[in-house]
Amino acid sequence: MQWYDTGVLGMLFVVLLVLFILYNIYRTEHKKKDLYIRRIPGLNAIDDAIGRSTEMGRPVLMVPGIGTLNAISVQALSIFAHITKAAAQFGTPIRICLADAAVYTVAQEIIRDVYQQQGLIDRYDTDSVRFLTDRQFAFAAGVSGLILREKVAAAFFLGEWYAESLIFAETANSIGAIQIAGSTEKSQTPFFIAACDYVLIGDEFYAASAYLTRQPILVGSLVGQDWAKIAMAACVLFGFLVNSAQRLPETDMHRVPLKDGAPEVWSQLSDDQKADLETAETWAKGEKANATEDTGLYRLFNPFYSKEDLTVKRAKKPSGAAGATE
Amino acid sequence: MKTEKTGFWQKLQNVDRRVLYLILVVTTSVLLSPMFANISIPDDPEPSSKALYYKLMSAPDNKTVFVQSDWTISTRGENAAHLEALLRVLMSRHIKFVIFTVADPQAPGVYRDVIRTINSERKSEGLKEYKLWEDYLDLKYFPNAEGTLNAIASDVRKAFGGVTAKDPTTGQDRNVFESPVLANVRAVSDASLYMIVTASSSIDRAVERLNEKATLALMCTGVIGPSAIPWFQAGQVKGVAVGLRGGLDVEYMMKHGLNYGSDPKTARWAGHESQVAPPVSEGKSLARANLYFLSFHGAIILLILAVVVGNIGMFVTRKKRTA
Amino acid sequence: MNLLAQAAPNYNFWAAEPGSARLWIMILVSLLVGAGFYAALFYAPSRIRKPIVWTFTFAGGLFYVLYWAWPQPVSYHPDDIPNGFVENVGFWLHDALPRVADISNILTAFLLGLGIYSLLRIHTGRIVKRQADRGFSVVFFIAMLAILVFGYWDWSLREADTKGLLQDSANWQLANFGQNLLFDGFLQQMDSAMFSMIAFFILSAAYRAFRIRSVESTVLMASALILMVSLLTLVVTNWDSGVANLAKNVFHDSKADPATFQAGYLNWMKLSSIANWLKAYMQVPALRAVDWGIGLGALAMGLRLWLGLEKGGVSV
Repeated sequence: MQWYDTGVLGMLFVVLLVLFILYNIYRTEHKKKDLYIRRIPGLNAIDDAIGRSTEMGRPVLMVPGIGTLNAISVQALSIFAHITKAAAQFGTPIRICLADAAVYTVAQEIIRDVYQQQGLIDRYDTDSVRFLTDRQFAFAAGVSGLILREKVAAAFFLGEWYAESLIFAETANSIGAIQIAGSTEKSQTPFFIAACDYVLIGDEFYAASAYLTRQPILVGSLVGQDWAKIAMAACVLFGFLVNSAQRLPETDMHRVPLKDGAPEVWSQLSDDQKADLETAETWAKGEKANATEDTGLYRLFNPFYSKEDLTVKRAKKPSGAAGATE
Repeated sequence: MKTEKTGFWQKLQNVDRRVLYLILVVTTSVLLSPMFANISIPDDPEPSSKALYYKLMSAPDNKTVFVQSDWTISTRGENAAHLEALLRVLMSRHIKFVIFTVADPQAPGVYRDVIRTINSERKSEGLKEYKLWEDYLDLKYFPNAEGTLNAIASDVRKAFGGVTAKDPTTGQDRNVFESPVLANVRAVSDASLYMIVTASSSIDRAVERLNEKATLALMCTGVIGPSAIPWFQAGQVKGVAVGLRGGLDVEYMMKHGLNYGSDPKTARWAGHESQVAPPVSEGKSLARANLYFLSFHGAIILLILAVVVGNIGMFVTRKKRTA
Repeated sequence: MNLLAQAAPNYNFWAAEPGSARLWIMILVSLLVGAGFYAALFYAPSRIRKPIVWTFTFAGGLFYVLYWAWPQPVSYHPDDIPNGFVENVGFWLHDALPRVADISNILTAFLLGLGIYSLLRIHTGRIVKRQADRGFSVVFFIAMLAILVFGYWDWSLREADTKGLLQDSANWQLANFGQNLLFDGFLQQMDSAMFSMIAFFILSAAYRAFRIRSVESTVLMASALILMVSLLTLVVTNWDSGVANLAKNVFHDSKADPATFQAGYLNWMKLSSIANWLKAYMQVPALRAVDWGIGLGALAMGLRLWLGLEKGGVSV
């Protein structure tokens, strides 16, 4: 009974997607074959942006959004590490502004590592990686001030962005900085498109490190993601066909409780069938408020269970021993 | 004559952005002035707002409502209107609620301001004031949205287990589950509604963690709207009020009801005629969103004008260049 | 010490009664263990450090993976005794979740200390070295100190106030007024002002960006204009009832009703219909597709981090 109500099929589907990614990582690492990744203009422009900063002798600004330490900020930092590598070689100053203390500590380590690996640790300025504040708009004010005071020549806004996106982008635009941006928050992408030179849309952000470094593991993972996308699209197509087919004959159908509406049919049913129908009817009345759809694919992922299926008999703990929070 | 005209358009093309800003300030401020305060804005609410209002008005009045208020002062233009409307509906129906945030340590300060405002408004109208402990609970701020929502989904008694509040009769701190507001809540599904008022993606976290465990409904800023509407279409969120327009929708229905009687002003919901919700029985209905909406009209019209003028200017100057 | 009184009131292995000897011993032991662990990591050769980091990452991720994948206890009640192994593990995961969330919260709190240290270092440096813009650094120190002092002072007064007198501003003292001025008067208003600047930036960005340069940008601009107009309810209600009038009077459509904006077979001419169609059939599917990409990207990144496959990927 434990597997009920958790949606086993949904979980198996996610496991399948995970296997796609892992298998492709394995495959690419062992094949050592160069795979084609389509052109992403925003990423091609990185070197131009750094070159421009170097010529003008002004800093490159990088901000990984205001998210906490998660996959998004680590991904942003790994792109920034690539940018820093180029900047370190040219001796271009960098500024990385952080709005989360945890991301700040990780960023500091990564950036110092980059300079160390390049053998240019003397060029590393400890103040180039800065924690400003974790207040969203105080951060926006702080970074805008830095953009205007230091007249940055190139700005990279990649990561988890919220309402502050446009403040940064318009401020940098006003001093003519070249801007490359991308947000995993899809609601902010339009703002970036209106104000920035290049924008990474959606998962282009995650493809960036594979695109820039061509490491087999990253490229393999990208191929796995594509497989997963195809699987999801196939699922949607299948659902569309199943649901449409199901809806066609249903246009004039009304659900009549068989027990009262058609007793002659009801009497011919087996006990199991009766029980199933009764469950279906109570659920259709909205007892389980969220299982609202009757379509085949929805039911495949959210099957009907009776109340008995979802009840487990267990012995009770001796009284007083448990749950002081009760 | 012709060159003079083109010169004007060219100048307009390169207009200093501060001029644009000044026009915006003047327009919005004038329209916010007291002389326009009593205008009632006509509205045909969005379907998602109608669903939300119906859910609010049909929630049983003996069950507690959870309110997750994840906004701060910066988005008060939209979210304060949302929370005020929501609390006015709940208080007019004498529904108990618990309010908290998983997004920001500043959020409790601003939602407390809203509760205080509505309470004093009710006091001046001679209506029952909402009392802490008896009628509502303020659980303050829970850090780590993901973890907290996970904990609420799995066991709300544990998630809120460490929180205490002052019992006014004794002045002592007591566990919040001993208060009349939460006494009957054993799981999050015991709440009739789980309302989220937000300016961030906390709705995504809530759908991920609480989906199928709670009946979710949302009031969010206009920016978050597009990414929240898919949840509404899929039935995972039962109603959504988007942006200031959503706030106005709710206030309008609080005044005129939904599918309510033969009132020509009531909001009609085509295809859902059986879902009837009356106007609120007591307290204010048209308030902040209605007040701001004229100014909002001004700002949007200015935006449209800017786009149109910008394009005309571009065409005229381009013509001149090719000529 | 009332500072610790907010801990969960059920005392178990993880939590002891506030002020009890056991609590202080627990704090002391964890400090010692933490310091010892830190020292061990500090002196460990760098080739061992990586496996240690990997082990912790894996263990941390494993909990959430298990929590998500392991069958959840159906009809769970805290007083129940679990049946069999599967339920035992399920119950344990269920009970441990809030504790794991606590651990990550505590870690984050410590990291905030590091962040504040960075701020202090940069700003002290600026003042000591008499760099340009050091005035801002002085403002920073004054602001930080003021909000710390008044915040703590106000909080301690409110903690002592068992009768709820401070709910009424007539009973406020200097600390309460100070805190209110700093929080409501300064911080909140400045936050709000920064946010409202977006309105200005949207105006200038729209003025620059929405130009008819190609077919795509024309489509983008047209749909943007329709959606913007659809927010103007004064325009929309008039337009929609106009369409309904047209359907009723000119085309004699029996389904049209100007009072409810129903326009029969001319429904598609209503501004609200066009805007809703754009949102439901153009915007939402596109957003869902973008969401998949982002979700899968996060899944892949999470997997690589968890399994330690992001080999030097971070430091390119």
